[in-house]
Amino acid sequence: MKFSFRKLYLFPFFAAIFTVGVFAQEDQNPNSPTPGLLSSADRSRVLAVNTRAWDGGIPSSGGLVFRPSRTNQITVFVSNLQLMPGEEANSVRLYLTQRSGKSFELQIDQLIPVSKGVHALQFRLWDPLGYRGQPVADGDSLINLTWRGLTSNVLKIGLGSTGGNIKIPTVPTPATSSTNGPTGEAIGYLYAGDRIRFLEQAAFGPSTAADQRLRRIGLRTWLAEQFEAPYPTTPYPAFPQTATTPATTCTLMTNPTCFRDHYTMIPLQKWFFTEAFYGNAPLRHRMAWALGQIFVTSGVSVQQSSHAVAYHKILSRDAFGNYRELLNDVTMSPTMGFYLDMARSTKLNPNENYPREIMQLFSIGLVMLNPDGTPRLDQQGQAIPTYDQEDVNELSKVFTGWTFCNFTCPNSTNGIINYKDPMVLIPENHDLGPKSLLNYPGAQETSIPACTDCTDNEHIKTYAQDSLNRALNNIFHHPNVGPFIGKLLIQHLVTSDPSPAYVGRVAAVFNDNGAGTRGDLKAVIRAILLDPEARGDIKTAPRYGKLREPVQLITNLARIFPAKDYFGESPSDGALASYVAQLGQDPFNSPTVFNYFSPDFIVPGTMIRAPEFELLNTGYAVKRTNFLHTFIFEGVTANATDSLRGTSLDVSEYVPASTADPSGTQLLDLLNARMMHGAMVQAQRDAILTAVQAVPSSNPSLRIRTAAYLIAASSQYQIQR
Amino acid sequence: MNETRRDFLRNSGCALTMTALASQIQHFGMLNTLAQKTRDTSSAAPPSDYRALVCIYFSGGNDGNNTVIPNHSDATVSGYAAYAAGRSAQGLALPQNTLLPVSVPRIGGLSYGLHPGFGTITGGVNAGLHPLWAQGKMAMVTNVGTLVKPLTRLEYQNHPEWRPRQLFSHSDQTNQHMNARADVMMLSGWGGRISDRMTLSANPDRLVPTVNSLQGGRLFTVGETTQPLSIGAAPAPLSSILALTGYNGSPIANARLAALEAQLNAEQGQDLVHASNEIHREAIRISRSLNDGAEVTAVFPNTELGNQLKQVARMIKARGALHITRQIFFVSIDGFDTHTGQLIGQAGLLGRFSQASRAFFDEMTAQGLADKVTQFTITDFNRTFNPGGSGANVGSDHAWANHQFIIGGSVLGGDFYGMNTTNGTPFPTLVQNGPDDSDTSNARGRWIPTTSVEQYAGTLAKWFGLEAVDVPYVFPNMANFPVTDLGFMTP
Repeated sequence: MKFSFRKLYLFPFFAAIFTVGVFAQEDQNPNSPTPGLLSSADRSRVLAVNTRAWDGGIPSSGGLVFRPSRTNQITVFVSNLQLMPGEEANSVRLYLTQRSGKSFELQIDQLIPVSKGVHALQFRLWDPLGYRGQPVADGDSLINLTWRGLTSNVLKIGLGSTGGNIKIPTVPTPATSSTNGPTGEAIGYLYAGDRIRFLEQAAFGPSTAADQRLRRIGLRTWLAEQFEAPYPTTPYPAFPQTATTPATTCTLMTNPTCFRDHYTMIPLQKWFFTEAFYGNAPLRHRMAWALGQIFVTSGVSVQQSSHAVAYHKILSRDAFGNYRELLNDVTMSPTMGFYLDMARSTKLNPNENYPREIMQLFSIGLVMLNPDGTPRLDQQGQAIPTYDQEDVNELSKVFTGWTFCNFTCPNSTNGIINYKDPMVLIPENHDLGPKSLLNYPGAQETSIPACTDCTDNEHIKTYAQDSLNRALNNIFHHPNVGPFIGKLLIQHLVTSDPSPAYVGRVAAVFNDNGAGTRGDLKAVIRAILLDPEARGDIKTAPRYGKLREPVQLITNLARIFPAKDYFGESPSDGALASYVAQLGQDPFNSPTVFNYFSPDFIVPGTMIRAPEFELLNTGYAVKRTNFLHTFIFEGVTANATDSLRGTSLDVSEYVPASTADPSGTQLLDLLNARMMHGAMVQAQRDAILTAVQAVPSSNPSLRIRTAAYLIAASSQYQIQR
Repeated sequence: MNETRRDFLRNSGCALTMTALASQIQHFGMLNTLAQKTRDTSSAAPPSDYRALVCIYFSGGNDGNNTVIPNHSDATVSGYAAYAAGRSAQGLALPQNTLLPVSVPRIGGLSYGLHPGFGTITGGVNAGLHPLWAQGKMAMVTNVGTLVKPLTRLEYQNHPEWRPRQLFSHSDQTNQHMNARADVMMLSGWGGRISDRMTLSANPDRLVPTVNSLQGGRLFTVGETTQPLSIGAAPAPLSSILALTGYNGSPIANARLAALEAQLNAEQGQDLVHASNEIHREAIRISRSLNDGAEVTAVFPNTELGNQLKQVARMIKARGALHITRQIFFVSIDGFDTHTGQLIGQAGLLGRFSQASRAFFDEMTAQGLADKVTQFTITDFNRTFNPGGSGANVGSDHAWANHQFIIGGSVLGGDFYGMNTTNGTPFPTLVQNGPDDSDTSNARGRWIPTTSVEQYAGTLAKWFGLEAVDVPYVFPNMANFPVTDLGFMTP
């Protein structure tokens, strides 16, 4: 690709991203062209010049050696970037790897069109984060760029000198390419790899039926269909809320079944897996699961399944609504009120817990952000806090006096705390003094005046409700919300370390859905899932994707190999929570409000941002592999207490491919397509084929399970790319 | 150091006895012995003895104000009355007659009280930690917390840029305790960085990493160049925790195992895949070294923390077979974020800590390693002196400087350690908007630390064997603090 600019005629993909409500649009080719770094004459070294010496064209030869520094600007040349309107330098990331093994993400300054198909990229040999130091003059180093989840070629660049024996790695080549692109498929959304990837991101995995439907109707129509699909398919658990102190007929000792159903998360956990396995509205289920990991409540302190169900109903209902509504409903939720203590906050003892976390975790985060989600820095290069303790104190006052509606609401029952209806105000507990709100650029209102007419309870209630609305509006309109929430959702659905440009595109849609509305979550979901950084048959950027969290490790397999009960006869009862809990993710029992893993988690010893890796270490790695052995080969047994049916995987759909071809090749091709969207590399394929061939071809089930286990246990599969 | 010493002398007027003075001077004296020693790591032989640090993390932010409480009536250094004045109205004050008294030589032998959870408790398996105070096996560093440099109240108010990043935020304050740096984010912890510097010299033939975590790759355990081993808690036997299941030696199973291992190496330029493979390869490699030895003899409580510490004790017992002489362990106990329901919640947690920690101490004694293994605590932050809520719901919110425990045979136990607060003792003045409170308006009592995480951790690291030359690598901001050894460990 060096000097030959292979032209790729692609449809301009984008028009649609910024347009709302037009479901009839055609889905375009999801594949972006592969960017290329132009090389010098020897083909292994990047064509680069000092920016000061650059004449605006493509030079015939470049410098050999460059000095790493914070100020020194360098220009390289990139082919094949087909930028859409508004797509700028923050869509590209440049990585440097040195002999020490350290890698750095370099500061990028500008992307300038130079000639047809070629852009000049100006950067510095400087890592703005600098967590692991800075590049050093260490001889030849490797440089590559990524764009829309695709990597360029890797080339050498001399830092301080040339030489030093660093090897250019080979770029991944999939073992088969038959599933990539439209080959062999006549009609519909023909991008088979992308379909599988889409169902991993937008649902709980690719069932055959979902894949076929997606092929027939395309991504946009599928999304429109999902936005309207009835939910849930399996009714929510309906155990009533009951007394905080279990009746003597419903204790762990007297009646464990009654206790389990009312006082643990088990009914919700079983329902959750059942819905993930068999539900017809997987997008809403997936979004509610993602939102539940952002707006966290937890059975660690939330007492009853009914309380957690009431909360989940808010998340699933508002998942396709407006973020402002979600913010209100979460704030008023008695379950959240209990979990983060707002239900006990009074003017004499204002509680800081919810006010702090609504800002830190649910809306704006700790530091001021640029529209693309990167931190805004002050003149000293320091991040700027979004709020301080004084702001928490002030917001605490706004949230005083709200508590459970135990007497006057539809679900109020004598002697039982009401976790179903929104919280209500106890007027004498509300702070009537003046409060300040967050003061940020563009803030419409930065204070709430003291109440002047609070002469009776009705006036106080009106004042408190109005104050709450103002405070939530103040948070909702903070410029951080779009990039902050947008990035979190991208991380939960698509990729752990999205490019700033991707975050920026999603944030822009959050800020304005195209019709002037801020916070439209349907538009945000569409923007996340249809973005070119999300789409494509295959992604090659080294840091693209995300580790499958334990829940999704299971659900994806249970969609590919339809989940049945232990005996393979009827549906599974979804009793899998105790198994995923062993892998670090006990559903609806997050250890803290900070979820099972931090969105900022960096893989130890690296610079790789990968939240779910907080749940992968030597201990959990082995447990994952061992659980997969149980799940795939044996099934999860039924028991008399919380799982009467158990769970197993049905591989019958794959038997024809296994029996038709004793060499195992057809089976592997099929599993490669279904489990890995055709991205399996040759070396892995060879290894698995050997193990499959060790199993007699007369035992197709064991052959399928052997292959499925090996793929599922591989890092190549466990990283959703 | 001068300013601190001046403050100390200025404030020492009435409240300090000669014992305390001697104690403080002794701490300064240790400074002089620190330091100049350098070494050639490449030629140093591995140590002939064994040492281990066990970090016990209280997740959520333990309320130190109800963990150690003035049990005296000396109003000049905040007696029980000052404590009760701040906490009894909302029902968060512990009755004085329930406190477990400890005498504090540093403060003239005045009595302080430990939370009753440190004594004998219902369902307990031992007498708890309280007796270790009188035996000189347990000490406390008081009013310790995250600092960029020493900070007076006036400086705190006038110089926001000198404050630690994101005070009162769980995630950030926890990270700063774990990475021992409060001004910039580091991606490694001080346990991990000690391992970076000491693994080659102390554990040249190791079969497991220097750092072992029972709670995953928490920041404390992560180094720049070395990584921890993560293992599961007891009752799972050591031999099982990293063992693959489903391989029975049949030809089919063997072929499958070969493929499993082969595909771990079938990666091409994918950073996330590589990172995952590294972890899986490490697990398979180490699993071959983890075998069951003789079982520990002490009775551990059957709690999460008890089972974590039991597994640590087994690892220590297997140290010979694992060829390791210096080890750092990380365990944790969750649930300390007691915004509400604190009285019952914290009592349960401190009781579980006390029981598990005491069992571990007894086990180390049984193994003859009491003076070779040191337990210490960290937590996110302290909680506000002023309670939140009242009655059964009473709790407390996020604050700052806290009190930490150090337990072991090499601890110079039975005393408070750390730099003095404005009242001339290492214990804060329990007054909202008082001289040690960082709050002013709506002041709720968030004590400004007088001792930094670095000073606390550095004292432990020095005992563990970290050479002075390596201190700046492990504790980049140590030079900002006048005292680098708080004196609570046997030199």
